[in-house]
Amino acid sequence: MITKDNFKKINDYLWEIPKNFRSDMKVPARIYISEKMLDTIEPDAINQVINVATLPGVINYSLAMPDIHTGYGFVIGGVAAMDAKEGVISPGGVGFDINCGMKLLRSEHSEKDIKPHLEDLANKIQREVPSGLGRGRQIKLSIEQIDRILEGGAKYLVEKGYGEKEDVENCEAGGRIEQADASMVSSHAKNRGRNQVGTLGSGNHFVEMQKVDEIFDQEVAKKFGLFKDQIVIMIHTGSRGLGHQIATDYIRIMVKAMSKYNIKVPDRQLAACPFNSPEGQRYFKAMSAGANYAWANRQMIAHYVRKAWNSVLGEKASKLAVVYDVAHNIAKVETHEITQSGTQKDVKVVMHRKGATRAFPDQPVLTPGSMGTASYVLVGTEKGKEAWFSTCHGAGRRMSRHAAMRAITGQEVVRNLGQKGILIKCRSMRGIAEEAPLAYKDIDNVVEVVHQAGLSKKVARLVPLAVIKGE
Amino acid sequence: MENKSYKILEHPADVRVQALGKTKEELFLNAIKGMGAVLRPKIKDKKEKIKNNIKIKSIDLNALLVDFLSEVLYLSQVNKAVYEDVKFKRLGLSTSSGQTILEAELFGNKIKSFGEDIKAVTYHGLEIKKNKNGLYEATILFDI
Repeated sequence: MITKDNFKKINDYLWEIPKNFRSDMKVPARIYISEKMLDTIEPDAINQVINVATLPGVINYSLAMPDIHTGYGFVIGGVAAMDAKEGVISPGGVGFDINCGMKLLRSEHSEKDIKPHLEDLANKIQREVPSGLGRGRQIKLSIEQIDRILEGGAKYLVEKGYGEKEDVENCEAGGRIEQADASMVSSHAKNRGRNQVGTLGSGNHFVEMQKVDEIFDQEVAKKFGLFKDQIVIMIHTGSRGLGHQIATDYIRIMVKAMSKYNIKVPDRQLAACPFNSPEGQRYFKAMSAGANYAWANRQMIAHYVRKAWNSVLGEKASKLAVVYDVAHNIAKVETHEITQSGTQKDVKVVMHRKGATRAFPDQPVLTPGSMGTASYVLVGTEKGKEAWFSTCHGAGRRMSRHAAMRAITGQEVVRNLGQKGILIKCRSMRGIAEEAPLAYKDIDNVVEVVHQAGLSKKVARLVPLAVIKGE
Repeated sequence: MENKSYKILEHPADVRVQALGKTKEELFLNAIKGMGAVLRPKIKDKKEKIKNNIKIKSIDLNALLVDFLSEVLYLSQVNKAVYEDVKFKRLGLSTSSGQTILEAELFGNKIKSFGEDIKAVTYHGLEIKKNKNGLYEATILFDI
């Protein structure tokens, strides 16, 4: 059993399990966390950070962010860079919800302008953006249309009139990974995606109307177009069934293929193949297509949110511009500077971020809280280099869904949030209870760690006014 | 537990189903029943039956259970159906290919909608074993 004694303190916000802790570790495992929060990490989650440190080609460290919690294979909140020449790519290092991520839209209105219309807006958004769990979109796209989305991402939808070119300019990777290849995606996956473009899904996915509650950095906030009391809209969803199927398909392929490359992993869910193998390349191209689908999904949801916004507010509706759109479950090829044998050099890596967000210097980072609690806009920093320019992705669960349901009912959550002036729209009371704020870690503590560690800096805190959940 | 032959267990982020069976076939059947319960389907007022044939080859029995459940999950989602019965034609090791093979007919009901979205079936902590009562037992973690 791993305890706090097994950790070496690097500084107040960084703790290390040294490489010699387990003989199969190739690098140390490091967790960005405060001493107080270190006691709360599940032992299984720590084991998962260590397991990633055993993968072929892992460079420097297996990292985890303060919102760490147990996943399957890779930990949630995990970051690992694999050498693109010698290392592996692992679908488990991305997760099933490929390019689950966040999009933030900003209005030019303050809270007082919108408050009288809040209920109407929330109802209209709920009608326009279905969960897709049986109440999918009425439109079923053809396989040819799905292929275009898989290769064209959000950029394709903008070209088709579902947005403006600024939408993709303010989006990680411009809303499209060019290596995507639709022919690497199975017909199973495409079928699952045919009626899900523009749907939220269930669990913690949401559209939230929020107001800017506090500004921490005026200069950066101004650059991002944010001001106090401003109304913003946050979208959290991913690649839906299509992405889940891509991950399922390629984990199956890699479980079978691993022995061919003499790769042994401590947990099958970590199944991996060399990035430069046929299986590795196929997965990367399919995963990139799944990521494009997710960017298209968030773009389509933004389109329907704008439709609802304009229909309720009419002529006085301001533009809803995109602050940023960022992935928190993805593998990308990136070039990073590393120090090896005392010399600095650029290396191409396969960057796995699972429940972690890219945070390049000056880039906006969107960190959602749990339902009904604050969310944050952060900004990437130069110091983020030590963590491959990565930061946290949210609050992280601390309680099972059943435990949450035992602790509180959906009606109580609605009442409690109502007392704080927060509207909640969800077709399932159970879904509301499962996502109750008490089931999650405190987002303020998580964000404080990455802020103090210097991985990203606080720009603004956003508080919810209306939450529209899937199911 | 004994009469249900599956149990939904807790997990901080996901959901686990423990399935039991006197035979491998019964274990696999109870696993899909457990998965169906996690999906919390809303059944149509008028029953509409559905039937599908499946054939799966995997590297071993654990992989076969994951691949089988993944295929049933796929069919559930594209056909909007829950599957409640299975007629196994074959389940076991093929001596010619060295692979573990399953061939079966699935029987289910069309549904109105799901109350939960299962993203995927995982290998996490999965090990099919015989318990002290001589029953096959497996605990499957679903990503939701």
